[in-house]
Amino acid sequence: MAEPKAYLADPALGWDRLWHEVIVDITIIGVLFALLAAWFIWKYRRRPDRQQGEPPKLTPAAGVAWTVIPVFVFMADDFFLAANGWQLWNTYRDVPAERMEVQLESGMYSWDYTYANGVKTQNELRVPAGKPVVLRMTSRDTLHSHFIPDFRVKEDSMPGRVTYLWFHPKKPGEHLVTCAEYCGVMHSYMSGRIVVLPPQEFEDWYAAEAAKLQPVPAAKPAAKKTKKSA
Amino acid sequence: MNLKEWIFTTDHKRVGVLYLIGSIAAFGVAGVMAMLMRLELSQLGPTLTANPTQYNIWLYAHGAVMILGFQIPALTGFFANYCIPLMIGAKDVAFPRVNALSVWLFYVGIILAILTFFIPDPPDVMWTGYPPYSILTTGNTALYTFTVLILGFASIIGGVNFLTTVVYMRAPGLTWNKLNIFVWCTLAAFVLQLIFVPVLGTAVTLISFDKYLGTHFFDPARGGDVLTYQNLFWFYSHPAVYVIFLPFFGVVYEIVATFARNRVFNYAMVVYGGIFGIVALSGVVWVHHLYVSGMADWIRIGQMVTTLLISVPVGLMVIGLVGTLYKGAISFETPMMYALGVIFLFLIGGLTGIPLALPSLTLHLSDTYYVVGHFHYVMAVAGTFAIFGGVYYWFPKITGRMYSEFWGKAGFWLTFVGVNIVFWIMMDVGVKGMPRRYYDYAQFPQFEHAHQIMTFGAGIIGIGFAVAVINWIVGAMRGKPAGDNPWGSMSLEWTTVSPPPHGNWPTPPSVSEEWHPYGYGDGRVSSDEAILHTPDVPRVS
Amino acid sequence: MAHGNTHHAASHAAHSHGAHWDTSIWPFVISFGILFALPLAFSFHFVYHQPFVAVMMLGLGVPMILAGIAGWVSEAMGKGEGLSYGAMGWFILAEAMIFVSFFALYWFLRLAEPAWPPAGSVELPRVMPLVMTAVLVASSLTIHYAEHLLHLGDAGGFRKWLLLTIALGLCFLGMSAYEWTHLMHEGFNIGTNVFGTFFFTITGFHGAHVIVGLAIFLAGLPAALGGRASPGFMRTAGLYWHFVDIIWFFVVSQIYYW
Ligand code: HEA
Ligand code: HEA
Ligand code: CUA
Ligand SMILES: [Cu+2]
Repeated sequence: MAEPKAYLADPALGWDRLWHEVIVDITIIGVLFALLAAWFIWKYRRRPDRQQGEPPKLTPAAGVAWTVIPVFVFMADDFFLAANGWQLWNTYRDVPAERMEVQLESGMYSWDYTYANGVKTQNELRVPAGKPVVLRMTSRDTLHSHFIPDFRVKEDSMPGRVTYLWFHPKKPGEHLVTCAEYCGVMHSYMSGRIVVLPPQEFEDWYAAEAAKLQPVPAAKPAAKKTKKSA
Repeated sequence: MNLKEWIFTTDHKRVGVLYLIGSIAAFGVAGVMAMLMRLELSQLGPTLTANPTQYNIWLYAHGAVMILGFQIPALTGFFANYCIPLMIGAKDVAFPRVNALSVWLFYVGIILAILTFFIPDPPDVMWTGYPPYSILTTGNTALYTFTVLILGFASIIGGVNFLTTVVYMRAPGLTWNKLNIFVWCTLAAFVLQLIFVPVLGTAVTLISFDKYLGTHFFDPARGGDVLTYQNLFWFYSHPAVYVIFLPFFGVVYEIVATFARNRVFNYAMVVYGGIFGIVALSGVVWVHHLYVSGMADWIRIGQMVTTLLISVPVGLMVIGLVGTLYKGAISFETPMMYALGVIFLFLIGGLTGIPLALPSLTLHLSDTYYVVGHFHYVMAVAGTFAIFGGVYYWFPKITGRMYSEFWGKAGFWLTFVGVNIVFWIMMDVGVKGMPRRYYDYAQFPQFEHAHQIMTFGAGIIGIGFAVAVINWIVGAMRGKPAGDNPWGSMSLEWTTVSPPPHGNWPTPPSVSEEWHPYGYGDGRVSSDEAILHTPDVPRVS
Repeated sequence: MAHGNTHHAASHAAHSHGAHWDTSIWPFVISFGILFALPLAFSFHFVYHQPFVAVMMLGLGVPMILAGIAGWVSEAMGKGEGLSYGAMGWFILAEAMIFVSFFALYWFLRLAEPAWPPAGSVELPRVMPLVMTAVLVASSLTIHYAEHLLHLGDAGGFRKWLLLTIALGLCFLGMSAYEWTHLMHEGFNIGTNVFGTFFFTITGFHGAHVIVGLAIFLAGLPAALGGRASPGFMRTAGLYWHFVDIIWFFVVSQIYYW
């Protein structure tokens, strides 16, 4: 990681970091409890001279302490995790102003992208490296979920609402897009790719595609009444 | 054996056994579906079938039957029926006929679920039945609706019955603080069922209305909204995971207390902190299933916090369980092996829910095999182990005979090894991006090897569970006589003969001030007549 | 009810047929009646479009359910009523949740709509629902009074007021049916728009609960006519009826007048 706190600006980096942190956290908790249990199981196995348990009697005060202290310890960990999760969440929802917006309509079984200049592509989204990309998504039939494993992000699309997701492609390359919400018979075959091009190459392609378009009346007829999800 | 007195029985123990037979049969069927799915996934491309819909039907049946036909009925049907009246010293439930109605409705539900394999266009809507697909599909969504409705209704009348029974029919002297943990857990589960099943019932009814009667609940073109279904569905189905968790953890408590011959650690904490806490929180966390479905941000953040907080009451219940081992006198018969297995496997399952609770992590994890791994550990593994352990534990009470200890342990170790192979690998491929509900995974050829190992592991699990079931069948027919209280438990159900006669005790027992179901370690033994007033019961069989 | 403990004396001869276990075939009959009358009939009609088979299924299932209920009632009437009142409380909790779900959905969708009622809706009658409310409230009072008379031991008076309650309930259903047909004639039906969807499902579900309430009264009617009415049963039936009445207030205020 070059710049400090780069993970705060890029969900994919932040994801890997938080994932690591949470895994360490829950591994510690799990191992502690498991070791304790294993130790008790070994130590207090039944012996000829001890046929009955000999539990210490808990005083009411001890009983309360054994409740309240763990409650606070667990809550402390929960709030720690919540705070970290929240921070990354803000990154996920805080779309950089400097971005490229693309409309996505999903359907059985394709991803149909429409660029700002009217260029349309199917199952292949070409984007320039170095610029955040926002997808405004809706669906023409069932639920779908635009999942880009490499960018650690997915969000459902559905009829009647517009959802969004964004990612930050940095280097040229290809990334898999695959459908993560059960949408019908061919759900598992509904995939596409994101092709990240060097900025100049992208501009050339973009302009060339736009030139191919006939001068059509600006936007397509307004879609059905849609609710925006907050 | 008089068949009529079994089929038309209204006795809680026989109703319970009917529940057990039905739910284990359902488990077998759903398990076979799992095997078919695993075989299909063992290689890239078509393996068993070239038709994805076929796979989707297996998956639908697997999920729906495992949850609605196996675990919920086994826990709130079989264990509740068999154990609760015995544990509270009642001669039966409040409404024995209603009880019989609930078990036969359960069988009707199972029949409907199994009709899936015999009708044209069976449902392929997954156990979640999300619209719009469930409305657009050519599959028979009505079958899904009715399966859920009928099993739900069976469960509601069961809940009404048991809540009434425990409130009004406890033995004299059996105060609330002397209830077995299992009874508390099951009561809590029934309260959840009563509150939440109707919501699920409404949701699944409305998809059939939309599909067959022309309503527009989920049709945005006419003012409906697809997300409302998901909210209603999870408003039930999250609490439903505690309807499974609570009773199965209760079973584990009974087993651990008995085999450790030890008092349950900090009983009041377990009941009032753990169980009550779970009930209180269970209704306000459902949105963690909708993190990627386009919900408003404020509600995702709020329910992230509540979801994380569920770890507090659940953690208290884990402390109570581990604490019960402390200074115990632990022996390792088969039921205890399963129960101890649950402690470790549940830790894995529960803790892997924590990353899922964070919406930011779930944006990557949701709908991948990571989720599948999480819930198999916590439910399919911990839950099933508890159920199997519980059946072994009460087996001598139910049949009056003993199972084979050797085969019991053999079955345990097979499944223990198998589940860790299968479900650990699932989480791993999930984190790497493998989405769930995939008939084929051409995009992910790198996972073929992992899928192969999982299929192999699933075979081991299947053999392990089958060994257990065969062990029961053989034991019930040819096992050695077990005696009335082979484990030396203090709990009331062991004070009557095995198997208990109709009416359980000639006159209902009463308990004294000093008696407690977990009153070990005071130098007393379980059969102490001074603290229990249970007249001799004549043997019936 | 379990009345088995007297049999233990005889249970020495257990190996033969000595031990007696309570049985009842009616739960079994009802369950399978439901299988035929609901899932199978519905599927044949709406999914597989075989109305004839669907009717056959109904013809099989409905008599099974009715016979089952009749058999059950004659077998069990008057037993266990001490607990049935409390049990009804729990059952009502579950029932109430159905309506909570409906209203939650209704509010959610309605508040998201820019205009309400949406295009295509018709003007709902204003007076009829008031009359219906009056009828239902009256029936709640009459059943309360009937219970009171039964408690006092006045079997004849009880019978009269029970019959009056049933008549009021039927009257309510009649008005509901009239209103439905009237609206459908004006071209407003369950598929018109989301308002039609809600109007017909919520009033329909409520109506179904009125029918169930009446069915409970009818199940108790033979005993009432024979002067053997069980106060516990009637109290429980009355509780359900009050619940149905209270739900109606929500239906009227939210659907008709909001
Ligand atoms: C018995 C069933 C069961 C149980 C008990 C749980 C328990 C939990 N589950 Fe799980 N879950 C399922 C069954 C279950 N789940 C199923 C079936 C699905 C998928 C459904 C589908 O989509 O088909 C699912 C899916 C699911 C999701 C949605 C994933 C997605 O689809 O995107 C989430 C997200 O938050 C989640 C979280 C949790 C959490 C936080 C718990 C917690 O209750 C766990 C609490 C336990 C512990 C944390 C361990 C013990 C505690 C301690 C040792 C104390 C200390 C710990 C801390 C302080 C952290 N689960
Ligand atoms: C309690 C619930 C439960 C249980 C026990 C299981 C058990 C198993 N599950 Fe299941 N599973 C679910 C609940 C459960 N599952 C749910 C809810 C889903 C999601 C559905 C959805 O997406 O909608 C799911 C999804 C699911 C998937 C995901 C598929 C996909 O997304 O495409 C897979 C994949 O491998 C799988 C595998 C298995 C395996 C191998 C077992 C094995 O452990 C099963 C082993 C058992 C047997 C093989 C039976 C043994 C035989 C007997 C006991 C009978 C013996 C009788 C005689 C001898 C007379 N399950
Ligand atoms: Cu599109 Cu799954
Ligand atoms: Cu959940």
